[in-house]
Amino acid sequence: MDAFLRMEHVSKRFGDFYANRDINFSVRRGEVHTLLGENGAGKSTLMNVLIGLYQPTEGTIYLDGKKVRIDSPAQAVKLGIGMVHQHFMLVEAMTVFENIILGDRNTRGIFIDREARTKEIQALSARYGLEVELDKPITEISVGAQQRVEILKALYRGAELLILDEPSAALTDLEVEGLFDIMRKLTGEGKSIIFISHKMREVLRISDRITILRAGRTVCTVDRTETNGEELANLMIGRELAPSHYEKITEPGEPVVSLEKVDYHKESKHNGLCGVSLSVGRREIVGIAGVDGNGQSQLAQVVTGVLTPDAGEVDLKGSRVAQFTPNGFILESVSHIPEDRNKMGLIGDMSVKENIVLKSTDTPQFSSARGFHLKKRAIRDYAEQMREKYDIRCTSVEQEARNLSGGNQQKVILARELEGQPDLLVAVHPTRGLDIGATRFVHDTMIDAREKGCGVLLISADFDEILEVSDRIVVMFEGQVMGVFSGKEPPIQEISLAMAGK
Amino acid sequence: MSWDFISNLLLASVRMATPLIFLSLAELYSQRAGLVHIGLEGLAAIGSLVGFLVSLITGSPMLGVLAGALAGILVNMIFAYATISLCAEQIVYGMAINIFAPALAAFIYRVYFGAGSTLVQVTLMNNLSTTLGITSDNFLLKLLLDQTPMVYLAYALVIFTAIYFNKTKSGLNYKAVGEYPKAAATLGINVIGVKYIACIICGALAGMGGAFLTTCYSNTYVDGNVAGRGFIALAAVIFGRWSGGGVLLACLFFGFCDALQIRLQVGSFGVPYQFFQMIPYIATVVVLALIGMKKAGPKGAGKPYLREDR
Amino acid sequence: MKNSNKLISVLVPVASVLLAFAIGCAVMAGLGANPLVALQSLWTGAFGNLRNVGTTLARATPLIFTGLCACFAYRCGVFNLGGEGQFIIGSVACCYMATQTGIEGFPAIVLCLLAGILAGGIWALIPGLLKVYRGQNEMIISIMLNYVATLFMGVVYTNWLREGSVPQTMSVPDTTKLSRIFGLRATTAFIIAIVVGLLIYYFLFYTSKGFQLRAVGLNMTAAEFNGFSVKRYILFSFVVSGAIAGLGGSAELLGTQYRLINGFAAGYGFDGVAMALIAQLHPLATILVAIFFAALRVGSTTMQAATGVPTSVSDIIQALVIVFTVAGLAMVKLSQFKAAIDRIFARKETVAS
Repeated sequence: MDAFLRMEHVSKRFGDFYANRDINFSVRRGEVHTLLGENGAGKSTLMNVLIGLYQPTEGTIYLDGKKVRIDSPAQAVKLGIGMVHQHFMLVEAMTVFENIILGDRNTRGIFIDREARTKEIQALSARYGLEVELDKPITEISVGAQQRVEILKALYRGAELLILDEPSAALTDLEVEGLFDIMRKLTGEGKSIIFISHKMREVLRISDRITILRAGRTVCTVDRTETNGEELANLMIGRELAPSHYEKITEPGEPVVSLEKVDYHKESKHNGLCGVSLSVGRREIVGIAGVDGNGQSQLAQVVTGVLTPDAGEVDLKGSRVAQFTPNGFILESVSHIPEDRNKMGLIGDMSVKENIVLKSTDTPQFSSARGFHLKKRAIRDYAEQMREKYDIRCTSVEQEARNLSGGNQQKVILARELEGQPDLLVAVHPTRGLDIGATRFVHDTMIDAREKGCGVLLISADFDEILEVSDRIVVMFEGQVMGVFSGKEPPIQEISLAMAGK
Repeated sequence: MSWDFISNLLLASVRMATPLIFLSLAELYSQRAGLVHIGLEGLAAIGSLVGFLVSLITGSPMLGVLAGALAGILVNMIFAYATISLCAEQIVYGMAINIFAPALAAFIYRVYFGAGSTLVQVTLMNNLSTTLGITSDNFLLKLLLDQTPMVYLAYALVIFTAIYFNKTKSGLNYKAVGEYPKAAATLGINVIGVKYIACIICGALAGMGGAFLTTCYSNTYVDGNVAGRGFIALAAVIFGRWSGGGVLLACLFFGFCDALQIRLQVGSFGVPYQFFQMIPYIATVVVLALIGMKKAGPKGAGKPYLREDR
Repeated sequence: MKNSNKLISVLVPVASVLLAFAIGCAVMAGLGANPLVALQSLWTGAFGNLRNVGTTLARATPLIFTGLCACFAYRCGVFNLGGEGQFIIGSVACCYMATQTGIEGFPAIVLCLLAGILAGGIWALIPGLLKVYRGQNEMIISIMLNYVATLFMGVVYTNWLREGSVPQTMSVPDTTKLSRIFGLRATTAFIIAIVVGLLIYYFLFYTSKGFQLRAVGLNMTAAEFNGFSVKRYILFSFVVSGAIAGLGGSAELLGTQYRLINGFAAGYGFDGVAMALIAQLHPLATILVAIFFAALRVGSTTMQAATGVPTSVSDIIQALVIVFTVAGLAMVKLSQFKAAIDRIFARKETVAS
């Protein structure tokens, strides 16, 4: 079988950094070809090159045997390449119908011919089993439905090659099954699919061939039938996966925080809480497992005082919380590693030094005369100390925080949040986008905090991370607690079912 | 209050709303492409001067309006280049335009007329009734015919805008650029191109709005004659919820306030006239305060669009 | 890296000034004047002798106040475009205090200035409250209030505090006037302006609250997550920034104008914003830019007399400086440009080592 798409010696450089280096990759007609790799292995960059968002620094792309230049997304669409991005490219203020016909070049006329377009879309959706409600605004449909809209969008533009970037990340198990059915239908009709994922089980189920990327380079391409999960994992990481489990604690101390029937925007399935009761004890890591967007962000913001619950009670170190303000919680020694480092955690335009002391410039350690004179020397020295202790890699503590890598930004936040010996640490997706080394560092630090008597509430969409460090696992689905499980020898099957809402 | 007073008031409202309609539509087209433009005051100032000069030189107010539009486009290309290509902050650059364009207008005026110039006047654009030779005291006829062609153009533009954004493919694409430029780009929509086109439209409309002031409203140019209309237009777009029809209603309301203050000044009632002059400005503040938090503007407005954003 | 950033933040405005002058010269040449003569007379007019320097500093004084006003608010992330209105309301309150209460002498000066501070602060509280509690656009509101303030001042000088047939208020008493420095046009108002600038500089960069205020200005969400009361800082920054403008208004009245009259403070608000932007929100740099703007204005009168070039050329030059500076600062932030700069610096370092 000859390849439908061939990418040869493709490189993409940003500044001095190669996101892709000498990549060779090909996709046949009618196959599901998986791109496997860790975060930062260069999958997304490669796909952005393929759809014309980035220009490759070197290399050539062949489509149907012909050399092509994809210098714009419009060109990619014309060549029959469609992509479903991990973060959906849907315009929320518009309806499903409008999103599908957006940017349409195939039809004539100035006005939107609603009837004709609707018919075409319905034909497509019937053919591939892609059910959508055309007149609903995007904001009112589920994540799974949004994904179907994305696929329809690509097909409507005549895509022959479909790129699905981590399509299962935000889906429940049931929805994933539906997605796989659709994918099989598509390949059955001769379409090719590039499937990007790092979930081994799914990859082994749906792929025909698998190409592994590591640190921006292709490692190899293997047939699904000739490999297994272990081999793939080793290829992906580049070394044996050491089963380094932390010791789990079964008897925590007295509760640091406990929630009793907390509601917040109850009617919202994806951004609300409904009757949530849970507690985190001292010397305990409680992991909140669940697919992104089932109320976890709201939970984190309630227990850090950013949001005020509509109903229910929150007890902090044994006393009822009357007023929800971030400052009130900070004064009660609650630390927060927020989900979005750049937006919520750091002041990007300020220096590393200033970000480290962000919360404590009022203290006598860093200012005299009740905050009226900053001790610049003391701040600098302290920051240098933290830089050493937390291994923050920066040119100097004067460097702007926005110019650090993700891992080092997270270390700045850790230094700020953990140095004051907190009683409760709320960590939301603390290792998202970090490499293995930095991830390990963050986990070690959390365990360390636990050993010092801190209660940790870990919220993560990365199931492996939850399993790795949690002493207790709480599963959330559509704003509700679906079950509580032990972190020691966790019942994975049951937890997975609970995450899917069963 | 007599019927005369009310009918005159309503007629004046329509007239006073017209420059606001041009300016608000300018803002609407800009924001729909994701560009918040607070420099309309400046664009209108240069449009107003150029419109004045050209209609003085050629004797044709129509040519004046056209030239005003061109001047608006030219100056707005500076804004376009800085905010689209250089990704300068839109608010900050809008402010720069507000400082630059009126200074340019004042300078050209001084250079052209010399330092100690006497008041120069131009002939204003004719009303349709004058052109057609129809005179009537009927209120409806006056409302329909006692208007300059610019008024009809303004309403035609409102209708066009409503249809464009709601019924056409191109309008849909245009809106997508303001809402989610990256998504638009992945669909092959030329985001940068749409943004530049938006700046051309915005410049032209703002220039025309300014030129209206010197070709249809007052027969002379004075510095500061835009008198905050560029900013009131911003409020009108918010008030009108970013839609053609809504913006029209908002402009009519602000036009009414403007007309009211002029009528009340004539009546005086022993109150210093400045208090009446405050009405449109205070009305704007009150309206904004009442609208409150609800945000319905294009999601991508105000943010720069970088093509190779990492 | 850090050094190259600092260097660029100085180089960009300087290059913008040079470019603006180049265009200004071309315009002058186009008008038939000799640019060199024009520039020379511009310089003499502004700084040629002590008297002219005094005049320049006097002209700079109100600009420093409105510049600092814009600078302070924007440091907290809010765009106060209402400096002019706050300046005017401050001067109106001051005028009332100076002419209507019968107080005189030094205590009167203090009270008058305080009245201006208070009035300016309260006037700025309106957009502040609407921003914080109604989520409204502070720019439009503060600009609308400029017009209201200007019209209100109109009522004051045409009606309430009018003196004689000319629409203007009565003059403040001689004993309440601010004293001149060495008999020049510049008064103690200039000193007050410099002191205010230094205080703001100290507050922003050497106090804990100032640090937190800047944090709020740079990233409101992160500031909130880190326990700062964002609303309170926004209100605070509005009030202080209005108070600065109000103080400026009273200082201008007591130091230079003595009475309110048509055109008082016209354009000062936007000038202030322009200066703060060129100075990249640095309070001390704002003072320098204000003096530069004032020099252009004062010098242009001499230039007009000497060469016939209209004074508004200086307005064009000023406007071009802001147009170029803001664009230039955006340009150096672009990634392609950054990479180029880094390469140049890297090369220099390797050559040096």
